[in-house]
Amino acid sequence: MEGIELISFKIIAAVGEARSSYIEAIREAKKGNFEKADALIDEGSKVFIEGHHAHAELIQQEANGEPVVPTLMLMHAEDQLMSADAFKIIAQEFIDVYRNAHSK
Amino acid sequence: MRKIVLLCNAGMSTSALVTKMRKAAEAINYECEINAYAAAEASKATQDADIVFLGPQVKYLLSEVKEKVKPIPVEVIDMMVYGMMDGGKVITRAKQVLGDI
Repeated sequence: MEGIELISFKIIAAVGEARSSYIEAIREAKKGNFEKADALIDEGSKVFIEGHHAHAELIQQEANGEPVVPTLMLMHAEDQLMSADAFKIIAQEFIDVYRNAHSK
Repeated sequence: MRKIVLLCNAGMSTSALVTKMRKAAEAINYECEINAYAAAEASKATQDADIVFLGPQVKYLLSEVKEKVKPIPVEVIDMMVYGMMDGGKVITRAKQVLGDI
């Protein structure tokens, strides 16, 4: 396996794991474990970057005049990337809300 | 004949991994049935399964799925293994957990 399929899978694995960490972070905040929640957000952000790098490879390839052939798996990877990206913002907001509620 | 079930969000990327796993299992003559499903189908899909694998994107569901499918073993597929679509490594892990080595 190589090329687009492999890069798509790298993206899905990395950003998928990131998204999972963000969801776990919200759950920890809900229980009042804010340190753990913050750590999970950091963990998620670290793996998200790996997905972002894999994605950047494709953008560079296209910029170099080598067209990227779109596949269903690549679209799925893009979709997962967007979802994880948005999830981080939502998770951080949720954690803040729980933190505020907790300190009152 | 072992029954291996993979779960992820929509069963989409995992379906591609299933193909790699089937090939890897065939290469070593490991008799098993491997299928991928969406995590929402967990209860139905895992009936008479020997082992359940979760994609890294649904790692957060681990405790829920474990509870749901008890006493079937549930494992999260490592992100690197998943990212490389290394079907062979997942089969090896299944064999280890099931004591088929």
